[in-house]
Amino acid sequence: MHTLYGFPPEAEAGRRVHPLVELRIDRSAFEELERRLENNGPWDNWTLYRLAWEAEQATRIGDFHELQSLRMLPRFTPLPHQTETAKRVLHEMHGRAILADEVGLGKTIEAGLVLKEYIVRGLVRTALVLVPSSLVLQWVRELNDKFGIPAIAQKKTHHWNSDVVVASIDTAKREPHRSLLLDREYDMLIIDEAHKLKNKRTGNYKFACELRKKYCLLLTATPVQNDMSELYNLITVLKPGQLGGESEFSATFVADRRVPKNREMLQEALGRVMIRNRREGSDIRHPRRIVTTVPLTLSPDEQALYDGVTEFVRSSAREAGIATAGALALVTLQREVCSSRDAVFLTLFNLFKKAEEGSLMHERIRHLVELIKAVKANTKAEKTLELIRGMNDKVVVFTEYRATQDYLMRFFAEHGLASVPYRGGMNRGKKDWMMELFRRRAQVLVATEAGGEGINLQFCHHIINFDLPWNPMRIEQRIGRVYRLGQTEDVHIYNLCTLGTIEEHIVRLLHEKINMFEMVIGELEDIIHTLEREETLERRLARLFLEAEGEGDLRRGIDRLGDVIIGLSRQRRQET
Amino acid sequence: MNGGEVARFVVSFLEQTGCRIIERSPAHVVVKLSTEADRALTNRPFYWSFVDRTGTEPETMTFAWYFEPPGGAAQAGAAEAAPEALAAAAGNAVAPVAVAETSASAAPGAAATALSAVAGTTALPAASPAPAAGPLPSAFSLPGVRVISEHLHFGSARLHQLFDYVRQRGRNVFLFAEPPRGACAADPFSHAYTAWLGVNFKISSECDMKREDLYSWGISLATGVIDEKFGERLQASKMTTRLSPEIRLLKSTLTPRKAMARLEAHLERKLRRGDFTWAVEAEARRQEERERVTSYYRPLIERADSEEQKRALQERLARREAEIDWQYRPRMTVSVTSCGIFHFPGID
Repeated sequence: MHTLYGFPPEAEAGRRVHPLVELRIDRSAFEELERRLENNGPWDNWTLYRLAWEAEQATRIGDFHELQSLRMLPRFTPLPHQTETAKRVLHEMHGRAILADEVGLGKTIEAGLVLKEYIVRGLVRTALVLVPSSLVLQWVRELNDKFGIPAIAQKKTHHWNSDVVVASIDTAKREPHRSLLLDREYDMLIIDEAHKLKNKRTGNYKFACELRKKYCLLLTATPVQNDMSELYNLITVLKPGQLGGESEFSATFVADRRVPKNREMLQEALGRVMIRNRREGSDIRHPRRIVTTVPLTLSPDEQALYDGVTEFVRSSAREAGIATAGALALVTLQREVCSSRDAVFLTLFNLFKKAEEGSLMHERIRHLVELIKAVKANTKAEKTLELIRGMNDKVVVFTEYRATQDYLMRFFAEHGLASVPYRGGMNRGKKDWMMELFRRRAQVLVATEAGGEGINLQFCHHIINFDLPWNPMRIEQRIGRVYRLGQTEDVHIYNLCTLGTIEEHIVRLLHEKINMFEMVIGELEDIIHTLEREETLERRLARLFLEAEGEGDLRRGIDRLGDVIIGLSRQRRQET
Repeated sequence: MNGGEVARFVVSFLEQTGCRIIERSPAHVVVKLSTEADRALTNRPFYWSFVDRTGTEPETMTFAWYFEPPGGAAQAGAAEAAPEALAAAAGNAVAPVAVAETSASAAPGAAATALSAVAGTTALPAASPAPAAGPLPSAFSLPGVRVISEHLHFGSARLHQLFDYVRQRGRNVFLFAEPPRGACAADPFSHAYTAWLGVNFKISSECDMKREDLYSWGISLATGVIDEKFGERLQASKMTTRLSPEIRLLKSTLTPRKAMARLEAHLERKLRRGDFTWAVEAEARRQEERERVTSYYRPLIERADSEEQKRALQERLARREAEIDWQYRPRMTVSVTSCGIFHFPGID
């Protein structure tokens, strides 16, 4: 167990230089000198001897407190709140902390700084970083590129032998990995998205508790104070007993599952293990988000197609039974027709293949295809081209549909505008390449995916939402690609909105009613999380569209939904 | 270490390891590594084992190392200066590559493939430092010679690789001070040398945090006198590996081992007189943390439903306690980083 106390194995077991302090001596270099004296050499070079001493002096940790890692990272300047956080974790929390910054303030950077500092000081050699699988590569890149920490992504069993490993927590907690990891000890354990540990009956929780670690960082953006037992469990992973025993904790701090009492005392107790930086309090200059709705009137042939599709959706849904999964899926057609005829055609074509020959369905689809053929131009695409030409700057055009993406790129090319595609299915290398092309060569990126890891579009200040996802988290991801930490300029967001369609209702709800485009990034996640405990927003909306009797009814239904969201948002602000 | 200090360190290293500097300015150096340095730095064990097995003429790698961050003013100068050296670099470096390729094609099947694979991908392996954020001048990308540009700064993996190398290869020396100029036979003591054991100590004080101190001390093997400023004396002296014929070595009374024991005892006395506030504070933290986990686990253990559950909880408590000790327990380590025997004129 010699490694347990951090002594080098060569060091001889020791004596005390103070009642509390054991001293060990590693004199292997002297023993080597004795051997060489006996054998009359060979001797090392005098200059190398002096250079070695110079290296020792340069790398000496001269101080218990001052951050040593910063002088090692000349290409990287952390923000003041990040440096401050790293210092507090090291000196006040002694390496065990919950980092709970709001989204976008750089929790990863803070964790990287703390890890780097301990590595530089020789206090950490082995570290295990457990994250959701989608974030593994992003973490590896960040640690390597920003911090020069040779972290590797765990893919094979032997990778566990590396000093710094990033792995998916779901892999790590399963055999055969589990036993391997529980058998060893880590100088540092980092768990990202740690709110997934909050339930103490889960495998994640038990696994995190059992891992042997010296220092430990838990990262979460979800304000854990909202649920008292979750909060308690998270802290127990880190420092059992920090908030007292379970019953003591309940008696002192819990009024109700969601309502703490003795707030100030709780805040103070939390302050000893948790750091939460907020956007409001941070010294980051906030560029503005300028949101413009671009209303468009469909051409008569487009309107005819839209009406035809709407009629088709309504009648098919009535036949299938409203609120069945199949009926709700049909609403997609209405959304697609607002995007491009190409998008709706593809879905209709698939429906056609599934339907029986000569059925009513066949007949209806054939009719719709006639309407599609009649559409000669795409009003939205023309407007988009006009917008792009007017802004004379880099722009990302987001669409939900592959078919629309292809169409747009063709359309732009026909008008002498080069654009670059970006989609979820591309592999990492291709994504990086596309990003590079966009940065260097093209004015326009046409993207179907905003999520995923590592896309950083800070050099771009314009977003056109060619169509809108109904999942607000996806909208937030779109904005988050451009409006993120480090963005210094105002960001312009254009929402294309075809009047008299399902799209108009969505834009009205998201922009005018709940004003989500200007919401604090991260705020929405909590609200949607609460809202969707019962049913996803997407389904709620689809149901509203199918069940509404007339325009007025639909409008009222959507307003009610908006009120619910606003209510949740107010409640959240009061809590935090 | 600032850019200038890094540059001096790197150039000294390159000179000592027999590398060929193609070009240098205060802000950069272009260098073709010696075989020794290449083996130590480029992490190509496969290539080197091939060379060793087949006796092929090795082709070492060429680097352009910049000491200022990309985009710095000094570097712009270096970039401009670079083309002048192109011809020289090309003339010197292209030829060996051609040789290597020829011999590769002459080598039998699998080996030839191996070499061309190696020669084709002289890129550094994954553990190498990430390329600099800004573009480094690529003036040296000559056909046939791959020159790898890197920003060498304090903290960069490459520089720390050099640190590790010199720590390994600069551990033990055996040296003589050059005789003082103008020394003559009239002064017999100027030619009487005594031996010193010089030792470099690194002392680390550790708890959940860490501090290090460095001492470079010497002890006379003739008299046992300890010099705490021995490091400075060495800095100021010219040393050589040769013993000139006119020098007379006086007999040592101490063996290096006895001398070492005295130095250690001296060091220990010094350490005992040190400030241990850090250790007292760390111990207080350790106690506090231990009380905290005990207060958490004790009621659980008392209320345990079964013996089995009780044991499991006790084991968990023991583990948490071990973690706390691991994290906070104050301790000190002395390591001898390097040492040597040094001969100086006179008796102290």
